[in-house]
Amino acid sequence: MKFLKIFSLILLIGVMVTSCEEALDVNTDPLVATSADPNAVLPFVFVQYSNRHTSELGTRMMDVPQHIAACFNSPRAGATGSTITGNTWGMYYTQVLGNLALVEADALEGGPGNNNIAAIAKIFKAKSFFELSSIWGAIPFTQGLDGVQFPTPEFDSQEEVFRGVLTILDEAIDLIDAMPADVADVSTGDIIYGGNMDNWRRWANSLKLRVLMMIRNKDAAADNEISKVLSEPMIEDNSQAALIRYADNPAETNSWQRLITNFFGGTSESSGVYSPTSVSYDLFNQNDDPRFDVMIYDPSDLGPADMGLATFGAPGSTAHVSNAVVRNDMSHNMFLPSEISFYRAELALLGVSTDDAQAEFEKGLRQICEFWGGAVPGATATIATADIDNFISNIGAVDLQKVHEQLYLESFFRPVVAWNTVRRTKVPDMLPVPGSGITTILKRFNYPPNEVSSNPNTPANLPTDTPMWFEN
Amino acid sequence: MKKTTLVLLLLFCAMGTMLAQRTITGTVSDNAGEALIGASIIVKGSENVGTTSDIDGSYSLEVPAGSTVLIYSYTGYGTKEMTLGASNVMNVSLEEGVLVGEVVVTALGIERESKDLGYSIDKVGSEELVRARETNIVNALQGKVTGVQVSNTGGNLGGSSKVIIRGVNSLAGRNNPLWVIDGVPFNNAQNPGGDANGISGNRDFGNGASVVNPDDIESISVLKGAAATALYGSRAAAGAILVTTKSGKGSKGGGPRVEVNSSYRQDRLMVSPDYQQDYAMGSQFKYDSSSVGFDWGPRIVGQNVRSLPVTGESGPLQAVDDNGINDFFEVGNTFINNFAISDASEKMNYRLSLGALNQTGVIPGSSLDRYTISLKAGVKHSDKLRSDFGIQYITTESEGTAAAGANDPNIIGFSSFSSTLDQNLFKPWIDEDLGTQLNQIDPSSNNPFWIRNENRNDRDDSRLLANFSMTYTPIKDLSFTGRVGYDYNQDNRFFSNRKGTAQRIVGDFTVDNLNRTQFNIDIIGNYKVDLTEDFSLAILGGFNYNRREFSREGLFSTDLLVPELFSPGNAAQNVATRDFSEHILFGAYSSVDLSYKDYLTLNLTGRNDWSSTLPIDNNSYFYPSASLAFVFSDALNLTSDAFSYGKLRASFAQVGNDTGPYQLDFNFFPIASASGQYSLDVNFPFDGRLAFAKANTIPPEDLLPERQNSVEVGAELKFFDYKLGLDIAYFATQNNDQILRLPIPQTTGFGFLRTNVGQVNTSGIEFTVDATPISTKNFQWNTAVNFSSAKTEVVELTEGVDRIQLASAFTSVSVQAVEGGGIELFATPWLRDSTTNRPIINPATGERQAGELKSFGSVLPDFTMGFVNNFSIGDFDLSFTVDWRSGGVMKSSTVENLQTGGLTQETTQNREGTFIDKEGVLLNPDGTVRENDIPLASAQAFWTSLDNNGVSEASIFDASFVKLREVAISYNLPKSLLENAKISGLSIGLEARNVALLWSKVPHIDPETNLFGSGIDGFGVERSNISSTRSMGVNLKLTF
Repeated sequence: MKFLKIFSLILLIGVMVTSCEEALDVNTDPLVATSADPNAVLPFVFVQYSNRHTSELGTRMMDVPQHIAACFNSPRAGATGSTITGNTWGMYYTQVLGNLALVEADALEGGPGNNNIAAIAKIFKAKSFFELSSIWGAIPFTQGLDGVQFPTPEFDSQEEVFRGVLTILDEAIDLIDAMPADVADVSTGDIIYGGNMDNWRRWANSLKLRVLMMIRNKDAAADNEISKVLSEPMIEDNSQAALIRYADNPAETNSWQRLITNFFGGTSESSGVYSPTSVSYDLFNQNDDPRFDVMIYDPSDLGPADMGLATFGAPGSTAHVSNAVVRNDMSHNMFLPSEISFYRAELALLGVSTDDAQAEFEKGLRQICEFWGGAVPGATATIATADIDNFISNIGAVDLQKVHEQLYLESFFRPVVAWNTVRRTKVPDMLPVPGSGITTILKRFNYPPNEVSSNPNTPANLPTDTPMWFEN
Repeated sequence: MKKTTLVLLLLFCAMGTMLAQRTITGTVSDNAGEALIGASIIVKGSENVGTTSDIDGSYSLEVPAGSTVLIYSYTGYGTKEMTLGASNVMNVSLEEGVLVGEVVVTALGIERESKDLGYSIDKVGSEELVRARETNIVNALQGKVTGVQVSNTGGNLGGSSKVIIRGVNSLAGRNNPLWVIDGVPFNNAQNPGGDANGISGNRDFGNGASVVNPDDIESISVLKGAAATALYGSRAAAGAILVTTKSGKGSKGGGPRVEVNSSYRQDRLMVSPDYQQDYAMGSQFKYDSSSVGFDWGPRIVGQNVRSLPVTGESGPLQAVDDNGINDFFEVGNTFINNFAISDASEKMNYRLSLGALNQTGVIPGSSLDRYTISLKAGVKHSDKLRSDFGIQYITTESEGTAAAGANDPNIIGFSSFSSTLDQNLFKPWIDEDLGTQLNQIDPSSNNPFWIRNENRNDRDDSRLLANFSMTYTPIKDLSFTGRVGYDYNQDNRFFSNRKGTAQRIVGDFTVDNLNRTQFNIDIIGNYKVDLTEDFSLAILGGFNYNRREFSREGLFSTDLLVPELFSPGNAAQNVATRDFSEHILFGAYSSVDLSYKDYLTLNLTGRNDWSSTLPIDNNSYFYPSASLAFVFSDALNLTSDAFSYGKLRASFAQVGNDTGPYQLDFNFFPIASASGQYSLDVNFPFDGRLAFAKANTIPPEDLLPERQNSVEVGAELKFFDYKLGLDIAYFATQNNDQILRLPIPQTTGFGFLRTNVGQVNTSGIEFTVDATPISTKNFQWNTAVNFSSAKTEVVELTEGVDRIQLASAFTSVSVQAVEGGGIELFATPWLRDSTTNRPIINPATGERQAGELKSFGSVLPDFTMGFVNNFSIGDFDLSFTVDWRSGGVMKSSTVENLQTGGLTQETTQNREGTFIDKEGVLLNPDGTVRENDIPLASAQAFWTSLDNNGVSEASIFDASFVKLREVAISYNLPKSLLENAKISGLSIGLEARNVALLWSKVPHIDPETNLFGSGIDGFGVERSNISSTRSMGVNLKLTF
């Protein structure tokens, strides 16, 4: 009997202990996944990148390269606050690159059948590092994205980053070249090209040329690599443009328009939120450039806005950027063929290539006019071929100044690309910034406070008018 | 013969017993003569002989031969020992709240005599809590309890208050004490509306404990040291606040006791800015009718202007008194009514209470209605079995909660007013036919009355607190108690921006439904035994099961087709969100009390917890405590007329702590929105694609439970027949292996790493001096001063990290834990000359320049003091409480905006003359400095440049203040007048809370307001908070 009692007690305690252990096994979040398909992660990466880019840089610093006259909370006077720097830095490193690193690692581990996924991850990684360095100069690159081995990554110089970006792009192209016939379906995740790896190869080569154009500003030896890449397939046609499409659907609209919709109501033309400076206005408004009527709204010839315009300007008092550019379904245009054509023209003028500079220049003009005149997704305006012919005829013989001016216009409403063009070519001349605390236009961002406080390897912030390495 | 001898012997013994025993009868009452039902009467030396008083407070007790002393005790009252004399009638009155011999509620609801405790416990009685009733019970502790710091977020109805006990120990935000009601933990969580960091559009919806009805509370025990809370385990690492609710009592004349307590108060802004009235809206002396909150226009001389604000009509420019804030803010009304009926007999007691709190706020369109029904009852089934239950149902509906912080069109702060802007012009604010906004300053800014009346910020909160306990006492001194508690909270929130609201033109609404439950079981065994005549032993063992669940479901809908139709089908965009977490804890605990001669008590405790949130292999942690109480006045027979009582106490405790749920695994989260600046989000599915993203926190490896070691030594001294008392304590806490979400360089691809880091030490002293300087038949003055000072030192963080951001306040201002320092406010200062420490002026502009980010010092006070006074003058009672906070810094964005906007008096100085910043210096080429003689462009240039480039120094202040916290005057009608009306008590009174800010170093605002509510450890930051309110009114208390 006593034995039975003891046995029962032990049994009871055993059941209790077991049930306690089972009861404690509840520490798994039922609303999350432990792994994710690249077709689910890549949409986040691309859309998050694009929306932060358009809503933060796109609404706050388009007055730095002076496409438009004034942005709310702009850093153009030299102070790059913690919000714009922190949000942008965090987007690139944690939301884009952090996720891409996992996608890339999984894909590489999966073997050649996932080469396409790994290549996509690498190309977008390269693009992101290039843009990071374009904004900040020295950034963590070789030690970045590896918190285990490098919890406080050291910063690489801009030159090292740019050259490293080229290496990544080469790796991506090699992966595409080595793709078997039967590869993973990434058409859902790839919202840019729908899994078309031929276009990704073109974009990779195009990005290489964009980076090499920056490097050659300081290192003529880059011309050898430029010569090689010029013979590779690049984005040559508007149908190959690298862009992210938005929709005329309130949940999927471009933030340029969303800003107006939420804060003021109406459109760009009626709200006056985006108004061109005399720099962009005057360049568009010459040679019967057919883009002017499509992209600039100025029916009463009010002219450009003053750089001293308070924040968002005054509707109806100046010209405004047209509704054909600022609209719900305006795509985020990351790379257009016209940029390649203008580079080719520039390189031909400089003797780096044997291309026909005039032909490439005209090709670029035609491509960009056709883009805004119909090829851009959801185009609301058209440009007649005759008008393009007339414009090309009027603009006349190519020269370096014209090429650089057209690169500047080609990058309209793409703040980082335009900023790079202005800093690289020094064309066009920038207007003085009222109330600026720096001696030139803004040249760089300061590092965000979070990185400064958590990473002792962060270099001291330079004055924000300190030129970038690639500048002359 | 043997039989005869035996009978005689038995008869003799029986007679002897009969002769020796006495039956003592009498009553037990309180000071006011009210019967105390259920008071304990035991025979000293024969503690198993005793009884309890009945419904009339009467008792009858057979006292064994040789017994000379009876011990009378009652919860919340002082214990009294009475020596038996010749009389067999012993009527005893017990004093409420007397420290010595006081029975206090300790961890797990165990009642112990305070003299046996080796740690400090503060107790606040019911009278203190309802003297000038606070609508948030947390605030009632302000100034009344040593070592307790209470801060609130301002004048929002139903806003939260944060309690910190003995300083900040945790860098992970776990500095909130555990709240326990009738032995059952309940949640005091706060989830602000708005973004998670409490900055963007922060809506403060109160902390969980704020719903408890002060009228239902018998007492609050504040357990401060870890030794006091050790039996509660990890969750009470930051202290515990034990709420004991009122039990049933009968009326003095028999029958039920009925209590009515009603207050009506009016609430007004406690502090308002010292607005300037000399200069108009505008800039550079040019008038601008759209320049709201920017009064750098021309001097107001009655000049005609072409466009007056809002109307656009021409007319003379005139200043509006106090910038019109009194035309915008309203007089709030607070009605607090409580009705309670209770009764008790020897076998049972119950109390039913109905409470109503009805408020309208100072902010237009704000209101709060809270109704409480609570029932508490106990039944003595037999001498061995007793059961009790309590249930409280509280429903709170609030409307118009104000938004604070930034990035929300609904924010209205003191800087939203201008000298020449008449708020009455904003009325009407809506075209009732078209539903469009009227009378805006311009299309991009909102009519403030539209914001307040058309945009909704509503909350519907239901709370159920229930507990049931059963105690079985098979033999005297052995008991088993089972206690079950359940806390259910359904918190439904609704916000909307009406279509046509500038910055939210398309209209939107947010549904945010939160649910929290907590289920708690304790099974406790108690045994007491006298080992010898001198030694007694009390043993306790128990088991605890605690389960907490949190779920949240939300919907954000925007682009409404039909205005004010809040259905997802009416919105072009709908983003649904869902959250869930579950946390389970098992605990086993024991406690041993060894007492020697009633003056030396050693208490040892041990508890082991098993937590679901820690790694399975490392989820068990044990922590011990030991405390010693030594009543040296008894041991050494030191008592005299001058010295009444002396006790020394010491304790050591170790407490472990777990972490939150779901922090161990690496996960991918389904993403509903891609975030953008200005809330310009894009939603998934995007082009039909769903999206997942990795977590931003690297999960921990080999996570350890947190460890906190604490020691406390203290003394309690009483003098002059207990008329003067001193309680002093020193405490020190060492917190190791804190589980922290450590910010790491984002360049690693992640933002945070969860890991064990660092060491935080907290130490300090606290003391209370209480006195009854005057005590006559018709006049009594009781006074108490409490003082506490706690210093938090961040000894170590982790390798390569010298400070960790705890909360960010936007711009460059943040609250950081600094290695080798404390919890400090970081911000950008002016560039200063290292020799003179004066700002270096930019010779080109005459303006100050930005320096490097630096610490401005601790956000925590150096010390806090409370000064409580009660006067009884005949039938009048007067009481007031003053509290003083000294030290700590704060940043006020409201002050910053007021000054840069030229809105306040100080900005008028030399406004029209040449303005030279005389505090600044100019740098010479050789590195020396000279007096600044460079004029600024204008006074406007000076004030508006003070915060250029993120500089915050101009709006960082010493947050010290002295406040007259509460004043209450009451008149108790003489009993002779009430007898015929069968009323046992009637008092009428005047009461006031937040009466006056007596002294402050922060201009224009209440320095106590804080942007971050109780849920975030962000002290020292104010940003567009609603000012605290002064509340004054009348009170009626009626007892039948």
